Parts: sequence; C-alpha cells; structure tokens
Amino acid sequence: MSSTVEGLEGEAAAQAASLTRPPLAQRLGGLLQAHPEIVLSPLSLVAILVLWEVASRAELIPPIVLPPPSRVWDGLVILFTAPWFPNQVWVTTVETVTGFVIGSAAAIVIGIVMVNLPLFRKVIYPYIVAFQVMPKVVLAPIFITWFGFGLTSKIVMAIAISFFPVVINTVVGLESVDENASLLMRSLVASRRQTFFKLAWPTALPSVFAGLKTGLTLALIGALVAEFVTAKEGLGVLVTTFSFELKVYLVFATIIVVSVLGLVLYGIMEYLDRKIVYWRRTDFTG
Amino acid sequence: MVELQTDQRLSGAGAATGAIQVSGVDKVFRRGQGAVPVEALRDVSLDVAPGQFVSFVGPSGCGKSTLLKLIGGLIEPTAGRITVGGREVAGPRRDVGIMFQTPVLFAWRTVLENVLLPIEICGLDRRACLEKARGILRLVGLEDRERAYPRELSGGMQQRAALSRVLVVDPPIILMDEPFGALDEFTREKMNLELLRIWGERRQTIVFVTHSIVEAVFLSDRVVVMGTRPGRVLSVLDVSLPRPRTIEMMKSPEFAATAFEIREHLGVAR
Repeated sequence: MSSTVEGLEGEAAAQAASLTRPPLAQRLGGLLQAHPEIVLSPLSLVAILVLWEVASRAELIPPIVLPPPSRVWDGLVILFTAPWFPNQVWVTTVETVTGFVIGSAAAIVIGIVMVNLPLFRKVIYPYIVAFQVMPKVVLAPIFITWFGFGLTSKIVMAIAISFFPVVINTVVGLESVDENASLLMRSLVASRRQTFFKLAWPTALPSVFAGLKTGLTLALIGALVAEFVTAKEGLGVLVTTFSFELKVYLVFATIIVVSVLGLVLYGIMEYLDRKIVYWRRTDFTG
Repeated sequence: MVELQTDQRLSGAGAATGAIQVSGVDKVFRRGQGAVPVEALRDVSLDVAPGQFVSFVGPSGCGKSTLLKLIGGLIEPTAGRITVGGREVAGPRRDVGIMFQTPVLFAWRTVLENVLLPIEICGLDRRACLEKARGILRLVGLEDRERAYPRELSGGMQQRAALSRVLVVDPPIILMDEPFGALDEFTREKMNLELLRIWGERRQTIVFVTHSIVEAVFLSDRVVVMGTRPGRVLSVLDVSLPRPRTIEMMKSPEFAATAFEIREHLGVAR
C-alpha cells in the first residue's frame, strides 16, 4: 500500500518538477553558457586531430615520422584484434600493481615506524634522502642482471620507484597531527595505540593517499622502463619492438593504450581516496 | 603508614567533590641548551573549592593557560605542588575534563561520534552510553545535528560539540582554556549563559581561562587576576553577584565595580 502511495506521490512530484522546470533546450543553453569548456575542450581535440591528419596526408611531415590519426586508429584496431595483445596488457598491469602494492605497503609500515622510533628515523633518514635524489631508472639494468628477464625484475623496479613518495607522505601526514588534538588525547588518558588509530592515522590518510597516487603512476613508469631494458612481454616491449620495426603508427597506438592503463589505475586510486577519505573538503568552485 | 591510607581514602572522597589546591608552583620553560629559560609562572598558590566557578584573567603571557595545563597534568611544575580532589597531579586524569580554545573535533567523525570519543577511550560500551550522549547533545541544543560532520557546523556549534565531549564522562572538574575566545560577541554571550545553565545543574568545579574581564566577572564566583613577567597571581577577587546570573546584571553597579577593580589590579585603569 505505502509503496503505491509513495509511487503516486513520486509521479506527482516529477510532474510538478517538469512543469516548473524550463524546457530542455533552454537548460542546455544555460549550462553551456556557464561551462563553455564542456564543448570547447573536445572541440580543440578534434581541431588538433584534423590539422594533424591534413598535415600528414599533405606530406608536410613524413607519415613514417608522424602517422596520421587515422593510421594510429588502424594500429589500435590491429592491437585489439591480435591474439597476443591482451597478455601484453596483463603483464604490464601485473608488474605495476604488484610492485605498487608491495612498495607502498612497505613504505607505509616503515613510515609509521620512523615516526614512532626517532632513533630508527635518524639512522634510516640519510638512506631515504640518498635514494630519493637518485633517478631510480638507472637501477633498471642492474635489476635485470639480478632478477632476470621475467616479471620479477620489473616488479622490483616498480617497488623501488613507488616506495619513496609513499614513505615521505606517510611521515609528513603522521607528523601533521594538530597539537591541540594530541593534547586532547593526552587529557583523555588515551593509550599510544588509541592515539595512533583514532587520531594520527586518520590525520595522515589524506597525505598517504596523495603519496599513493604518485606512487602508482611511478610504478607504471618503473615497470615500463624495466621492460624497455630487457623483457619478453609487456607494453614496453611492444613500444621498443615496433620502434625498431619503424611501425610508428603501432608505437602511437601502444602509447595510447599505456596512457589509458595509467588513467584507469589512477581512477581506481582516486575512487578509493574519495571513499576512504570521505571527510576531505572538496570545495571545487568552478 | 596508617595515616597515609586514611589520606588516600579521604582523597577518594575528595576526587568526587573536586577541590583544587595549588601551592608554591613555579614553571620555567627551557627550550634547550644555550637558550634563555622562560619563567612562565612564579610562586603561584591558590585554592579552588569544590563546585566553584573560577576564572583566570590576565594579559597574554601571564601564564594563565600554563597554570591550567599544570592543573590538568599536561605539563609538570618546576617547583611546588598541585593536588586535585586531594590527590597530587602526576599526569592527565579522567576526573578532569579539558576544553581548548579550538574545538578540536575530528573531521572524520560525526558530532555524535566525536562526543563518544572519551567513552571509547575509557573502554566503556558505546551503545550503553549512546542515550547519555544524545541527552547531552540535547542539553547543548545540538540534538538535530548529531549526524553532521564538524565542517558543516558553525564555530559556536563546534564548541557546543566540544563541550558535550567533555560532559559525556561527567568529570567533577572541568578546565576551559579560552573556550569561546574565537567566537563572535553574540555567540559568546549565548554560550556563557548556556555554560552557566549546565553548570547550575551539575555543579562541577570549573576553571575558566579568559582574557575578557567582562566574561570573567559574569561567569565566576572568584576571579584570579594574573600579571606578566614573570607570570604570577596579582590578586583573587570574589564576585558577589547572585545566581542565576542574567545579562541584565551586567549593567548593575556591583558588576561595574568588580570589573573596575580587576582593571585596577591589572594596572589597566589609570
């Protein structure tokens, strides 16, 4: 009974709303006036692609150097219909995600220990700084030497590269605890454990997530660079192989796939961030 | 030995009544080797009777917040002795509730969850205390905002929530460090009246730090006037205005006289 009543009321409300709302065309016009970028942004992309296509077809730039977008599209079709392609995406994804999970988990643990044990922090800090300033990609060849041509060397590279932003952001986050909030916990006679879980960790979470997002992006870079050096499978291998074969349109197609992979991974992190750090201010005015 | 035991039993009773004794307390901050030590408090002595409302008033740097932190056991005195409820203060205690100048609400907790924080920390059953927490939110007029997050509240509402968090464990002693200092004049007056109403019902011992002479006179039974360099007690004045206090009393000659006397002791009136 009650559900039908609600249903009727809902319909009535919808009708009332449609009566009071301006017509669709007018609303769309208003939206576009307020946010012209909704149209202009995709339009600019189309313009660039058209110019590129024209320039390439007119042979202003040799197609071998810069293939036209239509050729890159052909490349994408080739990739997605090839039976060996899904495995390449899978391999790179596994390397990236495994490396990121291990690297960031270790980073969070070490960050927590650093904040709680000042001596440990003092001892380990010089190493952290030394590794931080070193461009980690130079380690890729040596990881291949140590861990072989397979997935392991790529995972280790992803671990090494994603570790630092996470450890630093964890430490910074844990140390950003409000002084009065610490005093409050002390006045309530909270244990160290309670202070950590009820205050320090939630305080640190937004910063930890900022580190995780950077770390994940870097993990993908790490995996690809290690694949460039030597590998049997993966998207990095496709890029180097196609380049050698001068199939530049396939290189571009692979770059697009890599970018989409990065975007998807980042999107997942962004989603988790919003779900877990639900209290963060999201005051976007625009 | 026997005497000591009697003493402890007595102090148990004292904890419930909530008397505060400060005798000969000095506090010197040393910022590290080589740095000049800062004398925050020199030879401070005062007694607060159970159920009394006492304010510390004085300019910045007179050590009023330091004295409050000493009573709350958040810092240790350099010399002297402080007892609360007959027991010497050796650290923070659960019979002493502290309210800070900022509300210090946790952004990831709703108002109700923030109020329940001390319950969780004491290891009490959250569900058993839920009705009590709701009752206190009703007392401060936040009953319809229990699911709101702190950032959705105004400054006044945030301090009400902070007050509820102190009240939820029924401490016999409440220390308040300029709790309404960041609020606008109107909200502040309203909060003062509400605080008096709640105190009138429960009669905790309240130590209230403020730099507002008017606020100190309006709220207190006694006003401790403090001076700077070094931080010290200049005088202790009794406020003879009747209870319950009303805003109208602010224009009474007695109110003006007490406020003026405080100004004289502070050396502000010339």
